[in-house]
Amino acid sequence: MSETKAKTAVKAPKRGMDANTSAKIATVLMMFPAVLLLCVVSIYPFLWLFRYVFYDYNGMTSYFTGLHNFTRMFGDTAFWASVGHTFEYAILKIIFIIPLALIMAELMSQKIRGSGVFRVIYFMPTIISTAISAMVFGFIFAAYNGVLNAVLRATGIISQNINWLGDSNTAMWAVLIVAVWGGFGNYMIYFMSGLSSIPHDVYESAMIDGAGGLTTFFRITLPMLSPMFKVIMMLAITAAFKDYESIMVLTQGGPDNRTQVMFLYIYQLLFGTSTTKPQIGYACVLSLVAAIIVGIVTGLYMLLARKLDDVM
Amino acid sequence: MRKTMAKVTALAVAAGMLAACGSTGGSTGGGTAETSTGATGSGDATVIEVWSNNRHDEEYMTQMIDAFNASHTDIQIEYTILTDDWANSIQLAFQANTAPDIITIAASDNMTLSDYVSGGMFESLTPYIEADTEFQTVTEVYDHMYEGLNSIGDEIYWVPNGVRSGTRIEYNVELLKNAGYDGVPATLDELVEACKAVTEQGNGSVYGVGFTSSSPLSRWIEGVAEMSGATHMGYDYVNGVFDFSSWKPVIESAAKLYADGSVLPGSETQGVDNSRALFAQGAFAVWGNASQEAGVFTDQFPVSFDWGVAELPTMDGTVKGALSCTPNFGFTMLTSCENKDAAWEVIKYFSSEDFMKGYLEGGYTLPLSTYMSEKIDSSKTGRLADFALTDYEDVYPTPPSVAIEGDDYLVTLWNAVLGNVSADEAIQDLNTRYNEALERGLSNGSCTRVVIADYDPLHPSAGTPTYETE
Repeated sequence: MSETKAKTAVKAPKRGMDANTSAKIATVLMMFPAVLLLCVVSIYPFLWLFRYVFYDYNGMTSYFTGLHNFTRMFGDTAFWASVGHTFEYAILKIIFIIPLALIMAELMSQKIRGSGVFRVIYFMPTIISTAISAMVFGFIFAAYNGVLNAVLRATGIISQNINWLGDSNTAMWAVLIVAVWGGFGNYMIYFMSGLSSIPHDVYESAMIDGAGGLTTFFRITLPMLSPMFKVIMMLAITAAFKDYESIMVLTQGGPDNRTQVMFLYIYQLLFGTSTTKPQIGYACVLSLVAAIIVGIVTGLYMLLARKLDDVM
Repeated sequence: MRKTMAKVTALAVAAGMLAACGSTGGSTGGGTAETSTGATGSGDATVIEVWSNNRHDEEYMTQMIDAFNASHTDIQIEYTILTDDWANSIQLAFQANTAPDIITIAASDNMTLSDYVSGGMFESLTPYIEADTEFQTVTEVYDHMYEGLNSIGDEIYWVPNGVRSGTRIEYNVELLKNAGYDGVPATLDELVEACKAVTEQGNGSVYGVGFTSSSPLSRWIEGVAEMSGATHMGYDYVNGVFDFSSWKPVIESAAKLYADGSVLPGSETQGVDNSRALFAQGAFAVWGNASQEAGVFTDQFPVSFDWGVAELPTMDGTVKGALSCTPNFGFTMLTSCENKDAAWEVIKYFSSEDFMKGYLEGGYTLPLSTYMSEKIDSSKTGRLADFALTDYEDVYPTPPSVAIEGDDYLVTLWNAVLGNVSADEAIQDLNTRYNEALERGLSNGSCTRVVIADYDPLHPSAGTPTYETE
């Protein structure tokens, strides 16, 4: 009996260790799939970029070029022009998409009959393939027999067809319309989620105090939406700077590079054209620079948002 | 209990992940791949994987591969069609050791042979060809060695079994006739005038000419430049440098199409099929493209009106340079192929007289060898017969493969046609950027300078190329 007790006493700490080790193993195993995916699809490709920044690499053979890819980048007017277009596109997109999404979220949050149907309609562009929707807009914007021109002519707004995608003055606006149409439903859902988290009694108190609709929106809704607003803005900024798919389908960066944005430029270098071979090494350098640019913009926004928080 | 469940769940998820990562079976490379014909022979048979980027001939290929597999017990063909991002798909598959044994190849695939050879991807077919007189007879391979395209020196890497014609003008007979033209004029300036006349007759609903967003310059203006004596892809083979100055009159003349308002508005922003559909609807009179349009305007977008096929105009009505045609329907063996003799038997089958007779009579491509031209009944090929090769069509040696900065010559010169820059500015810009890229490529060893001292612009493939590294 005493022997059994002694054995139990000796084994007790062992069971404790086993349980601890088992928990650690379980943690590692639980994390393993996510970590593996992160390494394979995120960290490895990023490290892969560094491998070729000093080379002229065509996908099969790499030729050492030293610092040429970097010096070329500083003097590449086409790239810096594309950076300028990216800023123009992103700023305009955010100026239109965020207020629109917020207004629609506010409207859709009201208990209006049929608002559920509109929610689905507004969100639908988010789940449609960008390439497909851009192709459809290609028909809508067509200068000859295009739907948009037909409507504008029928309503007397224009007398002559506009070459929406082929004219340098209108191409950027055309791609922006597609971007806003395709993205505002998504942000609308985010805003609705934020709106639903604002306690209803705050609105009731405001109403008792005699606050009108606009006052309530600017004094209650917007301040209480602030944390969510910051996240949505950050997502909108990064998404706008990375956009290129619909532009690739609609204009291929034209006319005369008017809608050439930096990630489309990088894509064209990475995969080559019908007469040029891929320039993977240089595309890697530009990818890193583009990532830094997006990172700086996002960082500046976060800094600004924090400063505003302190002030307010 | 909760911990046990957690462990079980974690193990199951991890096992699932590993299983998913490890499952690399299947012969396709993803994307829009489609295996149309699979090997069905016994387990002892050698399976040769063939990848193709041609969908238009799928029915015929499937039928003939089925016949091959049924009549062979030692070799079976597994055939896969991959239409998207062809060159990159092949490169990625090769690097991942999942490449097929054989791939289809054509001049239009933009796969620079020297890059693939120096990258160790393509197997030389020369030893097999030398030992096979029947193959030599049917394909006339030694008459169709195109330096830098399918051969380098004496080494042959693929043999074209067919050819896509150089570009032609496809036109709406009635629209041109109403504007006072019986056909396509012999000079570019006259064609510009004809397009203007059609547009004036059209009163805003019908236009002279239509383009597309997909490589608009190469649809037919590039062909006009070549036939007018301009440098092929801007490369001066005699001096071994890029020089686009000979393109100036062609670009300036073509720019009048836009200046006159003769181009279907916005057609340069539409995909090629949209523009084809608009031509088939009668929205404009003049369209330009190569022999693939025979099938397009017969089956894909059937044209209800009388449409003609004409040779391209030139600057002064005389042909001073060869028009590029595009050898196609070739097969190349990858170095990763483990059963090279069996793979050669499959390539030989695809190039055999029986196989090619049905293929050519089916109208899938034009014959390249005189031998096959004489064997087929061209009356069976439909409108493809209108695109028969002319005596001034040839294959140019491949210019140096350079990594240029900025837009390529097709985009830059098209901008000049649109009037965004002047022809002089575009040409000066191209000369600078292409020659800088050439010098850079020579210094880092990524390209060589091709020089053909006895270059004849009317017979560019007849010259003797030499390669310089400086």
